[in-house]
Amino acid sequence: MSEVNTAVSHVHRVAQALGEPSSLLALREAAWRTFQELPQPYVEKTDLRKLTWETGTFSEQVGKVPAEVQAYIDRLQHSYALFVDGLPVDLRLTEEAKAAGVTYCTIHEAPEKAEALWKAHFGTVVTANENKWTALNQALFAGGVFLYAPKGTHIDAPFETVYVWTGGESGAYSRSLVVAAELADIQYAETVFAATTGAKVVNSHVLEIVALADSRVQVSTADAFHRGPTHFVTRRARVGKDAHVLWTVADTSDGLCVELVENELAGAGAKGLARVVGLGHGRAHVDLTASMRHVGRHTESEIVMHGALRDKANTIFRSRTEIVKGAVGAGSEQHDRMIMIDGTARADAIPMLLIDENDVQRCGHAASVGKIDPTQVYYLMSRGIPKSIAVQMIIWGYLHDTVEALASDPMRELVVARIERELSR
Amino acid sequence: MGKPDFRVQNLHVSVEGKEILKGLNLHIRGGEIHAIMGPNGTGKSTLASSLMGHPHYEVTAGDVVLDGEDVLAMSTDERARAGLFLAMQYPAEVPGVSNANFIRQALNARRGEGNELPVIQFHRKLQEKMKALNIDASFAERYLNEGFSGGEKKRNEILQMSMLEPRIAILDEIDSGLDIDALKIVANGVNQLRSDNIGFLIITHYQRLLNYIVPDHVHVMMQGRIVRSGDAKLAEELEAKGYDWLKKELGIEDETVEVEA
Repeated sequence: MSEVNTAVSHVHRVAQALGEPSSLLALREAAWRTFQELPQPYVEKTDLRKLTWETGTFSEQVGKVPAEVQAYIDRLQHSYALFVDGLPVDLRLTEEAKAAGVTYCTIHEAPEKAEALWKAHFGTVVTANENKWTALNQALFAGGVFLYAPKGTHIDAPFETVYVWTGGESGAYSRSLVVAAELADIQYAETVFAATTGAKVVNSHVLEIVALADSRVQVSTADAFHRGPTHFVTRRARVGKDAHVLWTVADTSDGLCVELVENELAGAGAKGLARVVGLGHGRAHVDLTASMRHVGRHTESEIVMHGALRDKANTIFRSRTEIVKGAVGAGSEQHDRMIMIDGTARADAIPMLLIDENDVQRCGHAASVGKIDPTQVYYLMSRGIPKSIAVQMIIWGYLHDTVEALASDPMRELVVARIERELSR
Repeated sequence: MGKPDFRVQNLHVSVEGKEILKGLNLHIRGGEIHAIMGPNGTGKSTLASSLMGHPHYEVTAGDVVLDGEDVLAMSTDERARAGLFLAMQYPAEVPGVSNANFIRQALNARRGEGNELPVIQFHRKLQEKMKALNIDASFAERYLNEGFSGGEKKRNEILQMSMLEPRIAILDEIDSGLDIDALKIVANGVNQLRSDNIGFLIITHYQRLLNYIVPDHVHVMMQGRIVRSGDAKLAEELEAKGYDWLKKELGIEDETVEVEA
């Protein structure tokens, strides 16, 4: 059997297991061909040369929900969807959201339940031909939601997708699409629970967000990917005229990860904010880019990245601002700061400014890598606080504002627990 | 526990190999206020920082004993828990850590495990002390010293002191950068705390503060040691006549030992 045939049968298996319409199968097959044609990618500071792009074998068996996840789910008061190894387990929509006319279903049901919206938006924010891993995701995606908030919907409570990866032999390819219509104001969240696995597979996760004119979308993510697979994460929002997309990203991975969170500020007056906290530990290699692409006129963006590193973690934080020709009057700020807790860790804070337009309102950037300020430690100790607690307090203080901005109490507490576990060692 | 008893004997301190304190002696008991005066660069702040155990300062000889315990053998946090407090000239800013959280952690560290102050009692006490010091209620939730004005930082130091109720409080130039109203508030905070359970060491180079906090003992520092001791009148004399007469009397030409204040 040739490589292509094996792969196509693999794509078929996924599509069949998920009961998808045949139109989607064609899309998957095309993406698979793209995946095969695209060259091995080059990512500065992350060596991908040895990557073999193993995908594992898709399993139709729904794994057990781990107790930790069930306890988490039980606390959620808002709308949520739960996927275990890419298969849907539970999806709940609040009465408030139902009354508002929100469409909320699995990504696999979307072509039938919301055909026009699907056709208009799926694969337009993150495209299959962007790179090898986005193509792979489009070919094999399993698990994820489709969320549509109609015009003027205002719901404070988040819609949360909980992804559980139980550590089987298969790769993980989640994909969600969120569309906020004009003047909608919503919150969307993604929380990942991943078991450690020895499988050397390639995982690729995608989130597409379409924020139409005057809408506001707050997105929170809590990722914790572990060693074994190579994890690619691509999350992007296309931000329409006078719309606003705000990201709060909390990453406590200790695996090999290449992650992108990006706003394409497409419409005039579009605004973007990305707040990122990362705690690198163990032998993590996390290559995380927060990016703002200014396309519309008078667009504004801000990136705030805070990293803390322990053990032999190697964390690369890129803050990237691109202002394309014609995006006149753009304003952007970047703050990228990393603290080394242990001298054995390695941090790279890389500010990137790619500016093709002469008429720029302002464009500021600051990046630093350093140790904990000893004068702060001394000050706290001078009041009787032991050194180890003083250090924890200072690091917490530094991560505090971003963690506070996460979508819900359970999510905040989850991230706090994940960070605490690594800091208090 | 009885009255605090704090002794500094023959203290020698170096910074980067240069000797700054050259045999300093002090004895402070509960209920006493000692003031240390002296021109800039005579080692006053070095004394304050080295008593608190700042890692930058190396004690090369001498003893520091609080209530019979060897202070020099303790780390900075142990010194604080033993009852030593330093109101700093330049307190650090710590973003993301609220004032209230910081003070509660410090207070509970000082009280020890199993003896923590319940949250509600803590906040009641904090509110009381803040009111007494004319500090706005919003102070509690602001991040520790971040964006505070000079006067606010100083008042925050006094707030911490009154919450932690130390046995020996060292105030390092608590009056610098304060206008007269803020000075009165700070002095008032110190006077309210005055009792047999606390001894003060007030470091200043202006006599002005001592109009509001009347010291029992005044010491003049030059060349890294105490060169003259007296009562409150000595401070007034220095205010009126400056330091030159004393230098002449002692045969000192250059009173300084360090570059920084």
